[in-house]
Amino acid sequence: MKTLLTISWRNIWRNRSRSLIIIIAIILGLMGGVFSAAVRLGTEQQQYRESVEHQISHIQVHHTDFVANPEARFRIAQGFEIAKQLTEHPAIKVASPRTVFDGMAASANMNSGIRIKGVDPDTEAHTTSLDKLIVEGTYFAENGRLPSVIIGRELAEKLNSGVGSRIVLTFQDIEGEIISASFRIEALYEVSSSRFEERNVFVRTTVLNSFIGDPGAVTEIAVLLEDSDEYRKLKDEIQAMHANLEVRHWADLMPALFYSLEFLDQSLIWMVGIIMLGVSFGLLNTILMSVLERIKEFGVLMAIGMKKTKVFAMVLLETSLVSLIGGVIGLLLSFGMVEYLYVRGIDLSSVGGDGLSEFGYASVIYPEIDPVFYFKLMILVVAFAVVAAIYPAWKAVRFVPAEAVRTE
Amino acid sequence: MKTVIRTNNLSKVYKDAAAPVHALKNVSLEFIQGEFTAIVGPSGSGKTTFLNVIGGLDKPTEGSVVIDGVDIATLKESQLFDFRLRHIGFVFQSYNLIPVLTATENVSFIMLLQKQPKKEMERRAKEMLEQVGLSDKLDVRPGKLSGGQQQRVAVARALASKPDFVLADEPTANLDTESAFNLLDIMARLNKEENITLIFSTHDQRVIERASRVITLVDGAVAKDEAFDR
Ligand SMILES: Nc1ncnc2c1ncn2[C@@H]1O[C@H](COP(=O)(O)OP(=O)(O)O)[C@@H](O)[C@H]1O
Ligand SMILES: [Mg+2]
Repeated sequence: MKTLLTISWRNIWRNRSRSLIIIIAIILGLMGGVFSAAVRLGTEQQQYRESVEHQISHIQVHHTDFVANPEARFRIAQGFEIAKQLTEHPAIKVASPRTVFDGMAASANMNSGIRIKGVDPDTEAHTTSLDKLIVEGTYFAENGRLPSVIIGRELAEKLNSGVGSRIVLTFQDIEGEIISASFRIEALYEVSSSRFEERNVFVRTTVLNSFIGDPGAVTEIAVLLEDSDEYRKLKDEIQAMHANLEVRHWADLMPALFYSLEFLDQSLIWMVGIIMLGVSFGLLNTILMSVLERIKEFGVLMAIGMKKTKVFAMVLLETSLVSLIGGVIGLLLSFGMVEYLYVRGIDLSSVGGDGLSEFGYASVIYPEIDPVFYFKLMILVVAFAVVAAIYPAWKAVRFVPAEAVRTE
Repeated sequence: MKTVIRTNNLSKVYKDAAAPVHALKNVSLEFIQGEFTAIVGPSGSGKTTFLNVIGGLDKPTEGSVVIDGVDIATLKESQLFDFRLRHIGFVFQSYNLIPVLTATENVSFIMLLQKQPKKEMERRAKEMLEQVGLSDKLDVRPGKLSGGQQQRVAVARALASKPDFVLADEPTANLDTESAFNLLDIMARLNKEENITLIFSTHDQRVIERASRVITLVDGAVAKDEAFDR
């Protein structure tokens, strides 16, 4: 076995440039694959973080009818008490009671369908870090004659207004009566999703509740967890405590994101797999060439008594070694590349990444790859290589020694 | 005297050619332990075919090959590989050596496949390379050796594992006259010292005189079988 390894190893370096070319092909294939994997992974992870941390939180609680009809009529009874009680749960970082419903926003010359969110400024800062998303204006200082509203930059552009402008919000009170009220835009916020920016406006709960006629109104409780992995467990727990309410976690709320994250690993393996499939054909060609060149050598080896299985193993071993060299170097370089990009970030705006924010993607991403992923790739590379070597190896042993030793 | 190889009515017909080629016709021969036999004959007379058949590399169309009392046609493929490994040494005209192994490693290779102890293997490899006059080339790879030196390594390898007999198909064909004589001298000496049965083919009249027995093939049939006392 050791000699077999020695022979295989030395054989690789017999045709140095040919082996190097295939090793470089494997390295480049892997790096290309890992790079695109990193971009996808980074994008998805970023989107998850954005969505969960700044928009929807881990778990949301509503009145069961609210989901179909987001109106002030469908409130959570004792909402403030429930939120307070949830906040005391050790696994819950914060539970933010909100008054949320759909409405309209109108400026002097435009209007737009929106979702109005009545929030407590402090609690909201802890839940979605809304205060940190402000790009212009102040955070609920309420320093005007009119009550304050904080809107997304996208909506501000659509309504053709800015900080200090007056807009009119129209919505229904608890009885279903239509109310219109004037607000002053105190600040603009920005998130990576322009759809979110366009739809969500924030006002103080106390202000909104007095407009709709119920000071204790709560239509939504957003729950942020200490440990993001526990969302399923906590959802069940909260649901058990409040059977009459609708409890949904982020995966219920954003199934598309959930599934793409859930199957991301597999889809990335597939993607790299396809690249490696291409590389494998190159490898097959190289190995086949080197086997055919040495067909007489193999014949002589079999003639003097080296078993076919050993000759077969030798070809597989050579291929595995080449792919192992390429694989190890390729993955080390890929690892270095990803670490570097994680620190520096990949700026996608230069390749049209600005348009990405419409889909909720950030234009600078910081890819992160689980070490297990590299391990899987390593197995993938060697597996492909061994499969690619089977045909050449079969060619090597099929040649009968009697033919091999003839020189004519 | 012990019979090492016996062939009974050996015939070989190649049917794949346009017209069937009768490469061997009714060859019945016996080889006694310690004989140094030259198979001679013009190109195409069936020398290679004969050596391939008695070496178990090719199957006869008719007749049988009995080695040490075993009809090799009764062996399964893997048994035949093992049989060759344990009983037969080969020297071919070319592509003999593993290019990536040194002379010593090449000579050890068969003993390695035979799973001999490492110490003994190294000692024997060195001894054999000395015997063929290559003690200064132990760690040199075949690419750095002349054709004659390469064939001497091949002879050392074939003999190192102490086979029952050694088959050499035109071992001198690619060598100049001096190297050819030199190689055959070495083979003749080893044949005497180690009492190994040696059968080699050649169509070179100059090298025949080293052999103790000369069998002439013509069109696949034995035309002459002479013994010489040397
Ligand atoms: N694989 C083969 N197919 C058909 N004919 C063959 C094959 N091998 C050898 N022959 C023929 O068999 C005859 C004997 O060949 P060979 O044993 O190589 O003779 P030698 O070694 O004496 O030159 C030749 O006529 C050769 O052309
Ligand atoms: Mg021949």
